[in-house]
Amino acid sequence: MQSVVDLIQLANRRLGTELTAHDAERELAEVPCWDSVHLLRLVGLLEAELGRPVPVAEVLEARTLDEIWTAVSGAVSDTALSGAVPA
Amino acid sequence: MRVTGPEGPWDEVREAVRVHGSVVVHAQLDDWLPEDLDALWLRPVLGRDYARFAAMTHQQIRSRFVASRLLLKHVACAVIEASPQSVELAYKPGGRPYLRGLDQIDISLSHTETLLLVGLTRKGWIGVDAELSDRPMLGLGTEKQVCTPHERQALAQVAEERRNGALVRLWTLKEAYSKAIGQGMRFRFTEFGFGPEDRTVQVLRPDGGRGTGAEWSFHTCIVDRRYTVSVALFDAGFGDTDDTAAATMLDDGLVAALAETADAPPQAPQAPQAPQAPQAPQAPQAPQRPREAQGIRDAKPAREAQETR
Repeated sequence: MQSVVDLIQLANRRLGTELTAHDAERELAEVPCWDSVHLLRLVGLLEAELGRPVPVAEVLEARTLDEIWTAVSGAVSDTALSGAVPA
Repeated sequence: MRVTGPEGPWDEVREAVRVHGSVVVHAQLDDWLPEDLDALWLRPVLGRDYARFAAMTHQQIRSRFVASRLLLKHVACAVIEASPQSVELAYKPGGRPYLRGLDQIDISLSHTETLLLVGLTRKGWIGVDAELSDRPMLGLGTEKQVCTPHERQALAQVAEERRNGALVRLWTLKEAYSKAIGQGMRFRFTEFGFGPEDRTVQVLRPDGGRGTGAEWSFHTCIVDRRYTVSVALFDAGFGDTDDTAAATMLDDGLVAALAETADAPPQAPQAPQAPQAPQAPQAPQAPQRPREAQGIRDAKPAREAQETR
């Protein structure tokens, strides 16, 4: 998973939503096919897709799909960074 | 209580609040949808919400936004006996709606599909939530994100044909409770639970132990044969009043004291003292609900989750 577009594709494929790339910056409350059930299910999907826990609190606090991706990808970077630091 | 449009029945809504202290009103979106979403009369009715509404581009979102605000304002104004234009809807940090200057009532808003839902109480806090009763949730990983270990065990005991409905019920109860305490989904749904519907419903700890007391009450019902609706109600213990009308809500003694103060001769200035913020009762075992006395009142809503979904 490389970008918010991948996240959107994952949601459409597994949640049955009809999100477009234009929805990435839209307030979640103003995305027609989106609701809190989707949000909570997305947490589980992301953890399965990435094979690791995601920062749930940050994801649930996110206002847009972009912010969700930032929370998730930030955690990716942190993980990668911590892995790169010599013991 | 079903309300089919601006014509009411408002007497019944007022009577429900007078007798019970609270009311939950449901409506269909089409009944509250103006013919012209760009009509000028919407501007004063929506008030500060109008700018947000005007910036919305998606027709479905615009329709739901305006219809839900109209319903909420009409319900509130029926209770306080004022005009919808005179009431201002504002949002607390986190998105929870409240009526500015009307601390005598608490409100909650939800919608799903074409159903609109408004809860109103003069007892303390209220949260409402609605979901399609047959919305698929079971077996999709939802249980892990929604249920406590105790709830998952209890769900496993429910007959398979009723299990998804039982999960939908838990979901709406948790949403309603989270809205009532003003936490939205920040209070993880796996950190508190609810028991089965055949007993008095109360908040449970993850292990099934009792989490709250009698100050909380919960109700779940089916609306229009297809929606599961849950209500969480907190009795703050402030006492009760059967008068919520905006014109008469001021205490006579307070008004007399203010009038007396205004008529009194000026006194020498004193060193200012820090005002004491009123302490709201806390929900047992739950994060304290942000109160206007403790923070910023008019922040832009972070998202609409607490308000609706």
